[in-house]
Amino acid sequence: MKSRIGAVLTAGVLTVSVSGCGVFRGDEDSSAPGVTKDACPNAVNKNNGCIYLGAISDLTVGPFKTLAVPITEAQKAFWKRVNQQGGIGGYDIDVTKYVRDNKYNPETHNQVYQEIKGKVLALAQTLGSPTTAAIIKDLKSSKIVAAPASWTSAWNFEDVILESGASYCIESMNAIDYAVETFKPKSVMAVHYAGDYGADAAAGAKAGAAAQKLTFNAIETPQGQDNQGRAVDAIVKGKPDLVILTTGPTDAATVIGQAAARGYKGRYIGTSPSWNKGLLKSPAAPAIKAQYLQSAPWAPFQTQTPGHQAMRQALGQVDPNDGYTSGWVWSYPLKAALQKAAANKELTRDGLLKAVKQITQVDYEGMMPTGSGNFAGDAGTGAVRTSLIAKPDDKEQTGVKVIKEAFTGPTAKAYTLDAPCFGKL
Amino acid sequence: MTEFWQSVARGLGNGSIYALLALGFVIIYKSTRVVSFAQPAFMLAGAVLVTYLAAEVNFFLALVLSALAVALLALGVERVTVRPMVGKPVFVVAIITLGLDIVIRVIVNGFIGLDVRQVGDPWGLQTVNLLGVPVQQRYLAMLLTTALMVAALFAFFRYTRFGLAMRAAAFDQETALAQGVPVGAVFATSWAMAGGLAAVAGVLVGSGASVDQNLWIIALKALPAIILGGLDSLGGAVAGGLAVGLVESLVGTYQADLAPWLGQNFAVVSPYVLMLLVLLMKPYGLFGTPEVERV
Repeated sequence: MKSRIGAVLTAGVLTVSVSGCGVFRGDEDSSAPGVTKDACPNAVNKNNGCIYLGAISDLTVGPFKTLAVPITEAQKAFWKRVNQQGGIGGYDIDVTKYVRDNKYNPETHNQVYQEIKGKVLALAQTLGSPTTAAIIKDLKSSKIVAAPASWTSAWNFEDVILESGASYCIESMNAIDYAVETFKPKSVMAVHYAGDYGADAAAGAKAGAAAQKLTFNAIETPQGQDNQGRAVDAIVKGKPDLVILTTGPTDAATVIGQAAARGYKGRYIGTSPSWNKGLLKSPAAPAIKAQYLQSAPWAPFQTQTPGHQAMRQALGQVDPNDGYTSGWVWSYPLKAALQKAAANKELTRDGLLKAVKQITQVDYEGMMPTGSGNFAGDAGTGAVRTSLIAKPDDKEQTGVKVIKEAFTGPTAKAYTLDAPCFGKL
Repeated sequence: MTEFWQSVARGLGNGSIYALLALGFVIIYKSTRVVSFAQPAFMLAGAVLVTYLAAEVNFFLALVLSALAVALLALGVERVTVRPMVGKPVFVVAIITLGLDIVIRVIVNGFIGLDVRQVGDPWGLQTVNLLGVPVQQRYLAMLLTTALMVAALFAFFRYTRFGLAMRAAAFDQETALAQGVPVGAVFATSWAMAGGLAAVAGVLVGSGASVDQNLWIIALKALPAIILGGLDSLGGAVAGGLAVGLVESLVGTYQADLAPWLGQNFAVVSPYVLMLLVLLMKPYGLFGTPEVERV
């Protein structure tokens, strides 16, 4: 009896230890989490191994779902195209197996990150600034490279974050320089959400106003259409020549529409997340068309660059939305890093991070200005300082038309990026 | 002075929405002793439904159809998910309503799509001059709609047979049941009424603005309203909603000048401060029924 129990225990221990090594599962190499010799699920190239990338996004009930869903879909299309082109270093890329919903909640973000971190090589997407802040220490200690889905200037200071485009801070500096060049405001007000979305843009606006010798004040406003009364009062009372708006689209329309209804005739420049083409059908549409411009880190969905064309072709028939554009653009640096790591024959987390630091330029297929994507230097030299200005236009697919192509204003050009901007508001 | 009256109009307009939502909370609470956290989802569902209906029919007809549809939805939800829990701890039922809220919102969000949507209201952002003060028509529409609905509700409870039955069931379920009151129907009707009220509130929030998936958050403002008005008082819900709207708007307008040391967005917490102040003096709210427990 004793020997039978011993045999069963020994068999059990052997089974657990062998399956723990991955021999039975065959789904990962112990040296590199998220890299397997087995093909990806639904692989394009059946003979390739598989690199698993995670994506943590706002997919159901969070406030940025309308951007997050197209971002995630665009990234699936982007990596499918990479696979169709042969993959990277003998591997296909999978961004479908480890997609998780963060509900735009930092705790949930961290929870789902912990669930998938042992199974992925890198993150193709970590959506949101506060949510990513909840995992940034772990990303650094685990050497997991991640593409963000946000534009806070804090990412310029993180080696593991592969940001694209100008931060909200730089975008707002350029917005003020553009305004000074075109309609010469004397006073600026930043109406912004709290946190490193709104505060980053407001800090950029503050720096821009100081450089251009304009009067400046900032009004922090909470989310929610019913909470915009104070911001509207402040605009109507203060009558600034220019408002830099860093809110969501519905709150932006509420502020613009209600201030216009009370007689405010000044101009607005809103950061890219403040726009949604549905606003052109809102009651605030006349005011928006007359008073609002959008600043953006890259050109909209319908633009004719090779990258934009490839994106549209890969996506097929979709309702045009710049969430798709953003998801697509944010994927290029990670592709470049994976290619570099594969060329170095170091497709591991260490190897990928090392590869990131060797990238001096990313090929965005024309979607970003040449020279963008320098991850080899410090924050100041690596930060992208170009953005563009667009105006509402019913005829365009995403409701905006570029009126000032990518440019770097004098403020952004001279600005010393020595710390995340939002700390300087 | 214009600024003051405009702030009052905004406060009463928003307060009307809080009042409608608060009425829904109170009606369900009175009949079932449960605070239903599914109200935000019904509010969003009503607004989104109107964004579709308004493309086909007149806005006002769309509003009525939406309220009826959401009332039916709420009735169905009560019958399927809440009724089987009768007799179970109210805390458990409240948690179920939290889950229902999330499930319904996820489904409704799927109908919002990628763009913000419009309810197609006729007044938009137009203003009207009232005694020399330009007031947005949407705030007047909110106030008027709420006044009509409150009047209809009070008449229903006061003068109809079923209204009397609902009051009896709210007072003592077992005795009402013994007297032949269909308590199950009372539960279902209370959920339907709350759903319809929430739908109307959602549409009014979307008027003059847009509908997106974050609209539901506004429903949470009804919570301080029902506590300060009294959790079991319909009149208290209306008074609480209007008070919350007024205080929030006036604090938003004047606090930055009068008390800047309170920070930039004290208006957001002002309803809760008001609620605490009221509870310090009247622990059951302004119009709530004090509970007597014999030991």
